[in-house]
This record gives sequence, C-alpha cells and structure tokens, in this order.
Amino acid sequence: MREQFPILQRKINGHDLVYLDNAATTQKPQVVIDAMNDYYTNSNANVHRAVHTLAGEATDGYEACRESLKKMYNSDKVIITSGTTEAINLVAHAWGKANLSAGDAVVLTEMEHHSDIVPWQMLAKEMNIELRYVPVQQDLTLDMEIFEASLDGAKLVCVVHISNVLGVCNPVDEIISLSKSKGAKVLLDAAQSAPHQYIDFKSLGADFMAFSAHKMCGPTGIGALLVTNDVFDEMQPFMGGGDMIETVSIHGSTFQSNEHKFEAGTPKIAEAIGWNAALKWMQEIDFKSEHKRLLEIARWLSEQLRSMGMTVYGRHDDNDAAVVSFLHPTMNSEDLAHLLDARGFAVRTGHHCAQPLLERLKISGTVRASFYFYNTREEAEAFVKQLSEILERFA
Amino acid sequence: MSDLTLEDLIEEFQEVDDKMERLEMVFELSEEVNFLDVEHWNDSTRVRGCQSEAHVIVTIEQEKIIFKAGADSKLVQGLMGILTIALRDITPTQALELTPEFASDMGVLNSLSPSRSNGFRNMFDKVMMEIEQKM
Repeated sequence: MREQFPILQRKINGHDLVYLDNAATTQKPQVVIDAMNDYYTNSNANVHRAVHTLAGEATDGYEACRESLKKMYNSDKVIITSGTTEAINLVAHAWGKANLSAGDAVVLTEMEHHSDIVPWQMLAKEMNIELRYVPVQQDLTLDMEIFEASLDGAKLVCVVHISNVLGVCNPVDEIISLSKSKGAKVLLDAAQSAPHQYIDFKSLGADFMAFSAHKMCGPTGIGALLVTNDVFDEMQPFMGGGDMIETVSIHGSTFQSNEHKFEAGTPKIAEAIGWNAALKWMQEIDFKSEHKRLLEIARWLSEQLRSMGMTVYGRHDDNDAAVVSFLHPTMNSEDLAHLLDARGFAVRTGHHCAQPLLERLKISGTVRASFYFYNTREEAEAFVKQLSEILERFA
Repeated sequence: MSDLTLEDLIEEFQEVDDKMERLEMVFELSEEVNFLDVEHWNDSTRVRGCQSEAHVIVTIEQEKIIFKAGADSKLVQGLMGILTIALRDITPTQALELTPEFASDMGVLNSLSPSRSNGFRNMFDKVMMEIEQKM
C-alpha cells in the first residue's frame, strides 16, 4: 500500500519519513492527487447552473461525492462543508438558532475538541443558553452518571465519538439512547472515528454527524454534516448567497429544499472529486482487520513507552483508536518532537485543541503518535529505537 | 560559562549540516544562561507568543546588560543562551543595533518549528524593548 502514497517516499533531514501525525491529517494516495489534477486539467467549471459539458462533468463529480457519502454512512442528507469545524458551526447556526431559546441546556463533554466547544460557547453567550460539561474520570471515560443527570431539560447533546488526544471511544450507543429517551438531539463529532470504521448513521440514531475528508486520505478544506430528514427540516439557512436559493427578487428570496440550501456559493468542487476518489480507495480496505492491526501496534508502543518511563494517556480498549499520547517525566515534549523530526519522525505535540481535557488531566500537552492504514509495526519499532537514542543522548 | 563570541557561534553552526547535531549544540548553549529562578517567573517576565513557558528579565548596571532567562524547554533555554552570548560584553546602545537575523545566519531558526522561531523573535523584541526602557 505504501507505494500508493508518494509522500511516504520522501526523506526528511536525510532520513526516511515516518509519518505518525495521522490524527491531525492523513497522507493522500496517488488516486486522490490524480483525480483532483484531472478535474483541473480536463473538467474545471462551476457546478449546477451552466448547461455546457464541463459544467455537467463538474456537477456530476461534485454530486458523486455526496452520493458516495450517503451510501457509505447510510444517510439521507449529506451537507458538504469545509470540514468538521464548519459542520458543527452549521448545526449551531442553522439548527441551534432556530430551535434553542434562552435557558435551554446543551450538554458537552470535557473530552471535546475545541471545534465542539467554542461554537457552543459563542452561541451560549449570544442566546443565553446553559452549557453543561460531562467530566472525564481518572480511567479516561466519561462520567455517565453525571451525563445522565445532565440530560434533564437538555435540548442537545454534543459528543466526540473518539478522542483525538486519548483515542478513547465513547459509548455512543448508550449516549444516544439516553439522550433520545430525554428528548435531546445528538450531534456526534466523528472526525476521528469516520476514517476508521463504517458508521451506519441511521442505525446509530444520532441526529447530526460531522467529519472531515483530510483525516481519511481525502483533501483538506472539505467535510460533511450528516443530518436526519426530520432534523433537516428544522434547520434554517445560515449563509446566504448563490446556489442555495430557488428565486431571488428585491422583495425577498426563496431557498432550495435540498442540501444545497446550506451550501451557499461555489462549493469545494475539486475537493469533493478528490474525496470521492479517497472514498472509493477506502472501499478496498478491510476496516476491521486494519483497526485490529493498528490497535496492536498502539498497544505494543504504549507498553514500550511505559517501560521507558513515559506516562501514556490512553487505554487502548478494543474500540479505541491507534492514538498514543505520552509524556517523558523530564524532557519537554516539543524538544522531543524537534529531535524526532531531525531523524524523520513526524509526531504532534501540544494541547491538540482539547485544553479542557488536558486541564482535567493536569497537563499542558502531550506528544502524540497516531497511526493509519499505511503505518507498519516496523515504523513503530524504529520510533522506539530512535526515542531510546534521543533519551540516552539528551534526557 | 564559555568565552564564546557571537561570531564563533555563527561559524560553528554554519559548519554543521546535521539537524540533530545543530539541535544538540542549541541544547548545550542552555548552560550559558544566567538562570532566572522559577519563583521570579510572572506575567511581566513572560515571553508572549512562545508555546513554552519562557521568561526573561533585563537590568542595566553601569552600562552593562544583566540578562536573566528561564524556560521549561531546553531548546528555548538554548536560544536564550544564544541571546546571552549576543549581549555579552556590549553596551546597551550596541545591543539596540542588533537584529534577530544573526539566528537566521546561524541556521538555528530553520531547524525549529515556525512557532519556536517566532518565539525567538518575540523574546528578542521583548529583551530589546526592556533594554531601551531601562537605558
């Protein structure tokens, strides 16, 4: 598989690239690069309106991405966004503003990415909404007793499926079922889960699901919001402009009735075509066996790191992601990442856009190694070897 | 404390191609810093825009610059060591003629992430501002 990713042949500072920053973004296979290149070379045009051949090809390419997403995640409605962040902001503006009122409660968790906290804080300030945060416990799971208690009178629950810091998979079936029993809608942040598993949106029972293409071998700048038909009808247009209208006069406008209503302006055409190529490429992957393989690598790496005196923040249960967050007792994490980069290893450091979670863990950041389909056990072994050499020389 | 000059440093760094070695040299320069104890770290000593905790304080005594600094990262402290050497044995007036380009000439900044090299520039600016204020 690795030969399909041109970037993996690159040398960094004279050393083979070992790319372990997949929770931030994944690399792109040649088919994705080719699809985008082909669009700009042969079919570039704006979508939906014009009747010429190029416009038809561009429209078909753009809409084919939506169709693939509908099939892959079993959803009737797929709104194309710029990514997970815009998808969540769209829920806040298009659904939140139309369906929440002063005094209503929205339940969040301390495990959320900033993109699932800040839009709600902004909305809360604007609309005088109450935000309730479910704490993360010592064992890195959500406090489900507090979660259940928080549901009383809540209109919306926003929860991350898999933590980008810990790799912990939250019990979303239980969360959705409890939320529904109390009449609350559920928004699932699937940025870290959709790239690793087939999620049946209808069976899952959430009302919204947000994720990004670039974390699943697709291009940056594009993502999706899946919405149930019922909730779709409760959403009001957020951004106005071309493509989202039916008619416009000086007296007012009427809007499209389908997903285009929420896709004002020229959409991400090349990105949609690239994402569709990535989705097709992913269909050849056996997600279950890959998940098992990567989780085994993460478990092995965690053990090695612990034996080297590191603190590992993660548990790597069967449904958790292959994300290994760790800290050395004395060595600064950014220093460590710089030294690793000198030998071609790409890892992430810092707060990973999840400061409330890190505050709960009483740390300011971690070093994070995250794995995807093209990573190998040999790379994890090389990582451990390099880390040992660095610690011997610098710690 | 070594008797290294800024010119020596620039020359030494330019001779080294390997990034790891260059980073090791920066690490070693952390020893050059007149360390500012953690209990003196506060909002007024903090270098803003630096991802690490980085603190500096400048005083001037009889035309001599007293530069104390501390960070939770050894690399950042190494950068502080470079600035310590740059400010050594020069007057405040001469210091104000310095530009942060010497760190680029050494090839230090391109060994670091953009946030770290911006942090260095912020530290440099803060130190220069304090020198100017205290002259």
